[in-house]
Amino acid sequence: MHSFLNALKKAAKNMLSMTPMILAIVGLVGLFQGFVTREMLASLFGGNPVIDTLIGTFAGMIAVGQAMISYILGGELLDQGVSLYAVAAFVLAWVTLGIVQLPMEIEVFGGRFVLYRNVLAFVSTILVATAAAGVTLWLA
Amino acid sequence: MNKKKPEAATGAGNGAEKGSGRDTGQGSKQQPFRFKGLKLLGFVVLLYGGSYLWDASRALKSLEGFAHVLGTLIPILIVVTFLTALINLFIDPKSLARHLGAESGIKGWMIALSAGVVSHGPMYAWYPMIQGLREKGARDGLLIAFFYARAVKVALLPMMVAYFGLTFTVVLTVLTLLAAWGQGVVMDRIVHR
Repeated sequence: MHSFLNALKKAAKNMLSMTPMILAIVGLVGLFQGFVTREMLASLFGGNPVIDTLIGTFAGMIAVGQAMISYILGGELLDQGVSLYAVAAFVLAWVTLGIVQLPMEIEVFGGRFVLYRNVLAFVSTILVATAAAGVTLWLA
Repeated sequence: MNKKKPEAATGAGNGAEKGSGRDTGQGSKQQPFRFKGLKLLGFVVLLYGGSYLWDASRALKSLEGFAHVLGTLIPILIVVTFLTALINLFIDPKSLARHLGAESGIKGWMIALSAGVVSHGPMYAWYPMIQGLREKGARDGLLIAFFYARAVKVALLPMMVAYFGLTFTVVLTVLTLLAAWGQGVVMDRIVHR
């Protein structure tokens, strides 16, 4: 019991040291929710599936919030005529990539790990989104 | 780029880098306590101040969003803190290397992918625990696979089907898990190069 309390104290201390970073990230999430509207997001897409897939990936990287919100926004984007390729990239990038959390990620893991993780995730997101949308449209 | 050293066979020292805070945890001095990200927090506070002057109603909406996200995050952070404590207490570098280190094989991939799928909350809530595992010798490839597998949210799959259809959901889920594994394999090769 005593050793568990020691381990808990150490873990809590570690978490406490990250509090300013976590508060800052959550603060940026709040600013995004307050200032970026759905209409702003929809206006980014121009109709070219290739360019829209890239835009979807970048928009997903910048956007923050619960994954559920990305599905709702993705559904609205589809209704507005945005391609499934772009929406797939947007939904996937929303969860796997994040500009907002980069400072904390670098602080915790170091720059090299973060660089590799994000480059691999970026490439994978474009490939997976393109393949998933392509297969879905082909089977439809 | 790190050269593979003999101790990398246990995962310890694998991918160590300056500034990452990664070490084997053996014989290292305890780091003095310091808050991380104070400058960034100060910058965000200034952003809120500036945004209030620019558009007070949206700034207040942002503050509401901040409070809401923080409220949902706190229970997750408590769970992560407990999990970190349990890992520190019960998992030693040697046994962790067996499950998530260089010799973990297919078992390691299964653990990383399934842990990613079942983990909840934002990615950054998991950073302290994942870094703790990394310091104990978990492979970078498995950690990267964990992070990407988090794109699959089991609880949200019905919602995804409702918005995008069953075919898209199944294909995206399978490809995401394959991509998570593929990224892990690439990362392991990069680390061992």
